[in-house]
Amino acid sequence: MNRPLSAVAGGVTGIAVMTLLLLFLEVETRSNLAIFEAVARFAGMPGNVTLGFLLFLLAGVFAWPLAFMALEQYIPGGPDPATRGMVLAVALWVVFVLTGRGDLSGGLLAIYVIFTLLAHLCYGFLLGAVYGRLTSESPVEADRYDPTDVSQ
Amino acid sequence: MDVISVLTEIPGLLVATWVLLGLAIYAGYRQNWQLRSVAADGGYLSGLGFESEKPTGLFRWLTTVDHKDIGVLYVVFATGAALWGATDAMMIRTELFTAGTDVWSAETYNALFTTHGLTMLFFFVTPAFTGLANYFIPILVGADDMSFPRINAIAFWLLPPAFFLVRGGLITEVMGKMLASVGVHWELLFSLRPPTIGWTLYAPRSIIVTNPQVDLVLLGLHLSGLATIMASINIIVTIFTERDEGVTWANLDIFSWTLLTTSGIVLFAFPVLGSALLMLIADRNFGTTFFAVDGGGPILWQHLFWFFGHPEVYILVLPAFGLVSLILPKFAGRKLFGFKFIVYSTLAIGVLSFGVWAHHMFSTGMDPRLRASFMAVSLAIAIPSAVKTFNWMATLWGGNVRWATPQIFCVGGIMTFIVGGVTGVFLASIPVDLVLHDTYYVVGHFHFIVMGVITFAAFAASYYWFPLLTGRMFNRRLGRIHGYLSIVGVFVAFMPMILIGYGGLPRRSASYPGVFEALQQVSTFGAVIIGIGALIWLTNLVQSYRLGPIVTDADVWNLRESGQFSREWQWFETQLEERTKFRR
Repeated sequence: MNRPLSAVAGGVTGIAVMTLLLLFLEVETRSNLAIFEAVARFAGMPGNVTLGFLLFLLAGVFAWPLAFMALEQYIPGGPDPATRGMVLAVALWVVFVLTGRGDLSGGLLAIYVIFTLLAHLCYGFLLGAVYGRLTSESPVEADRYDPTDVSQ
Repeated sequence: MDVISVLTEIPGLLVATWVLLGLAIYAGYRQNWQLRSVAADGGYLSGLGFESEKPTGLFRWLTTVDHKDIGVLYVVFATGAALWGATDAMMIRTELFTAGTDVWSAETYNALFTTHGLTMLFFFVTPAFTGLANYFIPILVGADDMSFPRINAIAFWLLPPAFFLVRGGLITEVMGKMLASVGVHWELLFSLRPPTIGWTLYAPRSIIVTNPQVDLVLLGLHLSGLATIMASINIIVTIFTERDEGVTWANLDIFSWTLLTTSGIVLFAFPVLGSALLMLIADRNFGTTFFAVDGGGPILWQHLFWFFGHPEVYILVLPAFGLVSLILPKFAGRKLFGFKFIVYSTLAIGVLSFGVWAHHMFSTGMDPRLRASFMAVSLAIAIPSAVKTFNWMATLWGGNVRWATPQIFCVGGIMTFIVGGVTGVFLASIPVDLVLHDTYYVVGHFHFIVMGVITFAAFAASYYWFPLLTGRMFNRRLGRIHGYLSIVGVFVAFMPMILIGYGGLPRRSASYPGVFEALQQVSTFGAVIIGIGALIWLTNLVQSYRLGPIVTDADVWNLRESGQFSREWQWFETQLEERTKFRR
């Protein structure tokens, strides 16, 4: 598959899982985190959850994956694109946590920080993994496992 | 204005987009604006492509009746449920970090410990071990498949709906939220609130609570019970009727023995739970009085529930014992010491487990003679448990112990089981129980077993059989780190609970006196260690499944030299030969 399309496919997979995770987190915490308000703030639409969420989806499906495609070589963590995706996602998460945390503090802030990081890591992993899988043209054999080698 | 508040003023999307755009332009400039046509990474296909008669993709997993596929489905389902239940646990620990009720509301806290218990017991441990049984028992006894492959598939596919019913409020609320995010408000979807009645569903509270979600919980538990019974019948019939000629009762492996016993317990315990649940549903909805004060009384619920509930404890722990008995000798370089006595102790636990239920009810004011008899049986069940522990130690004695990841988890599991078991012996004594009943001591005691030996055995199995399941090897250093982190984490998380219990703090309360705060914080710290370990495990297994070194020799663990290259590995060897024959 061509590279931009593969990247978008990765983005769709990643954002679908991430949205689901954020929804579960939101319901699990009985809306105490107000994740989607944070998403709206992140997207520059404070108060307008619907439009903010739409922007969030568009960014997750098009902007980040295409940027990932262009930047892949320069992102540390290679050669596995999934690891690189996770590095990119951590960078995005830093911005998300700073702009989206609202007035959370204490235990709620800890939960917010940890679980949004996990959601971002899932997004990055899926983005990179799907992208890597769809674009690879010459699969290389992985190393053989040697039971006598205990250095690992 | 500080930096953070400046950042919150500007939309993060804008910041991130501009930064990425700038970097992308720079990257394009560096690459002379040419799109590469060949993947730089060289591709990450599984490298294990081989011919198969099975359909491909999603269709395969939805229609499969192959015991191996169903085993994998079970294990994946159990992992998902475990991670979800772990989220509950981390949220419980967050609330308990401080003495006041200041993170969640008390209702949310009650819902958290209820769903944590139900999820972990019914949808993590039981499916995880049923999955391993599905995959390995036919291989270990030399059968082609389980006796009833289609019932096997049905038994699995009842579990996801059961799980969704039990945690139903969440699902409908997610749907409600999704609709709300596009501007549609449907109040009905928000009417199911998470249950707050505790996993033991004690009457009369479970009857009085008006939340309709409780009815769904009861139906979901009933459904999961049906699934468990079906799976157990399948395991029993498979072991009895499908054994290969070479597999006799005398040389049946220890894992199959424990699963056989477990399934026997299920056969007697789960129907009682099912019936009791139906009575409770009738009490809630049709005005019957099975568990009302003017009917059978709330104590009747406790009798019926614990007649199921205590054997359930052994349904959870016996497969774990089986796994420890199976894996430990392989890394000790010796045969399991006292194999016969381990089998006998398993059977003894299976029988005795039905004679101990009322030790959960010592403080309800039962007749003292009845209480004393249950105390005697509860103390007696420590004997077969100790037989196992001493046999494991004797197996290690003088053996050539290799500290591979599965072994770390097995020995760690024995350690935590000793602590969990000995604290249990004290609880079995009526006078001690009257003091410690419903305190954190009880929570600490059973978590040493459920988070200790049960989960450790599941982790040990996940590492031990990983090469067989995926054809690849995991990262052994990460595995060892996970092992040591988990052992430390369990002691740091649950030892303070034992102490808090000695201090007399009742469980199941969102707030508590300030004197317990330091110990609660240590406990939370331990939970975080366990959580980090679990994330390392998940990362390790997912990445090793994709990229780990490929296994070409079936003797991954050097079992041949100690004569323990058992049936599943011999089977794996023939599989590997066929794979190389058909590899594309």
